[in-house]
Amino acid sequence: MVNFKSEASRGIALSGPATLYVGLLVAAPLAILVAYSLWTQTYVSVDRTVTLANYREAFTDPLVRYLMIRSVLIAGAVTLFTVALAYPIAYFIALKARRKTLWLLLITIPFWSSYLLRVFAWKLILGFNGVLNSALLSIGVIDTPLTFLLYNEFAVVLTLAHAWAPFAILPIYVSLQKIDLSLLEAATDLGNSAVQRFLRVTLPLTIPGIIAACLIIFIPTVGDYVTPSLVGGSDGKMIANLIQVQFGAANNWPLGATLSLLAMMSVGFVAIVFVLAASGLGRRIR
Amino acid sequence: MKFTAIGALALTTALTSGAALADGGALTVFDWSGYEDQAFFTAYMEKYGDAPTYTFFGSQEEAFTKLQSGFAADLAHPCSDAVRKWVAADLIHPLDTSKLTNWDAMLPEIKEVDGIQIDGKTYMMPFEWGNTGLIYRTDKIADDKIGLQLLADPAYQGKVSIPDAASSAYALAALATGNADDYTKLSDEQFKEASDYLRAVHPNIRFYWSDAGQMDQAMASGELEMGWAWNQSELNLIWNETPAKMMRDIDKGIATWVCGYVHLKSSTTPVDQIYDHLNALSDATSGKYIIESWGYPHANADAYAISDAALIEQYGFDDPKAFFDGSLFFDAVDPALEAKMLKEFERIKAGF
Repeated sequence: MVNFKSEASRGIALSGPATLYVGLLVAAPLAILVAYSLWTQTYVSVDRTVTLANYREAFTDPLVRYLMIRSVLIAGAVTLFTVALAYPIAYFIALKARRKTLWLLLITIPFWSSYLLRVFAWKLILGFNGVLNSALLSIGVIDTPLTFLLYNEFAVVLTLAHAWAPFAILPIYVSLQKIDLSLLEAATDLGNSAVQRFLRVTLPLTIPGIIAACLIIFIPTVGDYVTPSLVGGSDGKMIANLIQVQFGAANNWPLGATLSLLAMMSVGFVAIVFVLAASGLGRRIR
Repeated sequence: MKFTAIGALALTTALTSGAALADGGALTVFDWSGYEDQAFFTAYMEKYGDAPTYTFFGSQEEAFTKLQSGFAADLAHPCSDAVRKWVAADLIHPLDTSKLTNWDAMLPEIKEVDGIQIDGKTYMMPFEWGNTGLIYRTDKIADDKIGLQLLADPAYQGKVSIPDAASSAYALAALATGNADDYTKLSDEQFKEASDYLRAVHPNIRFYWSDAGQMDQAMASGELEMGWAWNQSELNLIWNETPAKMMRDIDKGIATWVCGYVHLKSSTTPVDQIYDHLNALSDATSGKYIIESWGYPHANADAYAISDAALIEQYGFDDPKAFFDGSLFFDAVDPALEAKMLKEFERIKAGF
C-alpha cells in the first residue's frame, strides 16, 4: 500500500503512471531509434557494430539536405497560411459571434471524416478532370484543364492548411477568449484607434496562442508523409517520403532511423528559434 | 475437476471433427488482397470445406519486413524477383515438386525463371505472370510512332507516368538503352546510361504512380498519354472502353514478371494440406477462371486450351513463348546494384 500521507510518495504515485507511459512509449522507442542509427544494414540483416557511417552519409548527401530544407519550408508555409487564415476566424468566434459553441462545432465538422478522405477530396477538387477544372471549363474561362493545381508544393500546402485549420483556430480562440475586455475599453478611452488597439493590446495578449498554434501545426507537418505522397507529385516530396523508402523498399532501417533523428533535430531547432523569436517580439510590442 | 472434464470433452470433440474433416481455415496464406477469391482454389474448398485464412500485404517490401520481424504463415505470394532475398533471409523452404501434381503442366519457360529455381532447388510455385510495358492512348499516339524513347520526348511534357519503384523504372531504362540483357548486373557505364535516360524522362513525368488505380484513372481521363505499367492497367482501360493498349512488340521493349507461392519456414500446418492448396491453385480450371475473369495469364499451360481464345487474344497473351524469349525478365537484381538503383532513383525523382 502506498502511504498517501507522505508528500513524496504521493508525488511518486501521481507521476508514476505518466512516467511509465512516457518511458515506454517515448523514451524506449527513441532509444531504439538512436541505437538503430548507429548500426548499419547489410543485405538481409543488421550489423550491430557502432559507427557514424549513416550520419556521414546523411550529411554528405545533397538530397537529404534538399528534402529537409524543402520540408521545413513547406511546413513553414503551411503554418503561416493556416495561422493567418485562422486568426480572423478565431477573432470572430471569440469576440463577435453569439453562438460560440455552435461555431466551434461547425469548425470541427471536417474532422469527423478520415484524414485520407479529406486528402482525396482535394485530389477531386484540384484534379485534371476535377471539380475546379470542370467548372472553369464549363464557364469557358479556360479551354484546356489546368495542370499546375495538383502534384506540386502548392497542392501540399493547400491540403495541409485545410486539414490543420482547427488546430490553429482553437488555441488562438482560447487566448482571445481570455482577454479582459476592460483592457480594450481602456485602450479606446486612452485614444487608441481600432487598429492601434488591436496591435497594442489584442495581438500581444494572444501571442501565446499564436505560438501554440504555430508549433502544433509546424511540428507534425514537417514530418507529414501521406499528403506529399498523394498530392505532392515529384516536386512535393518531403523528408518523410525518403524515410519511408528506407524503412520500405530500400530495407535500410539504420539509415531511416538516422534520417528520422536528423528530421527531429531540425524540427526542434527551428521550433526553439521560433519560440525565442516570437516571445521576444511579443515583449517588444508590449 | 468439473472444468477439466469440460475441457477434455471439448478437446475430444475437436479431435474427432478434425479427423473427419481437416480444418480448412487452419492454413494461413500471406497474400496480396484479392487473391482470397475462392474460385482460385476450388479443389481445396471441395476437400476442406473452408477457405484458408488470409492476411494481406500491400508490397513485397512490407511483406518481407513483416516476415522478418516474426510474422508466421504457411504460404506467401511474392514475385520471382524477391525470392533470392527471402531465401537469403532464411524465410522459405524449397518445394518438393513431386508433390506438385500440376508441375508437369506448367509453362516450361516459367519453371526455369530465376527465383523459382535457385541453385537447382525449386522455391516458388509459379501462379500468375504478366507484362510490364508501355501503355498508350491509341487515339493520341499512332502505333508506328510509339516507342520507349517517346517517354523522353519534350512534346509529352506532363503526359507521362512511370512507377514509383526503382526496379521497375530501371527495367524500363535498361530496355530503352539497349541493356536489357544485363538488367540484373548493369555495369557502371550501363547504369549511367539508364540513369541518364530516367533523368531525360523526369521532366515529362506527371507523377510517379504508386497505386495502379491512380495511373488508370489518369490514362482514362486523358491527363496521361503514356505510362509504364502492368497489364492489369491495360485490362482496366479495355473494360473502361478507353482507347488504349500496351506496346507488345518485343523488339521495342517489354518486361515480364511472374509471381507465385512459397512455403514459409514459419509454417505449422501439415505439409499435405499446404500442397493440397498449391495443387488447387495451379489447377487448369483455376487457370481458366483467372484468365477469363481476372485477365491474368496463369502458369498452367493447359489452362489456355480450355479458356476463351478470343479473350486470351484480346488480353494479349496468346503467345506466351514470345514474351518469355524476347522480353526483359524481372529477375533478382544484384543486391549492391539494387541499393544503387534505389538511391539513384530517389535522386532522379527529386530532380538531381
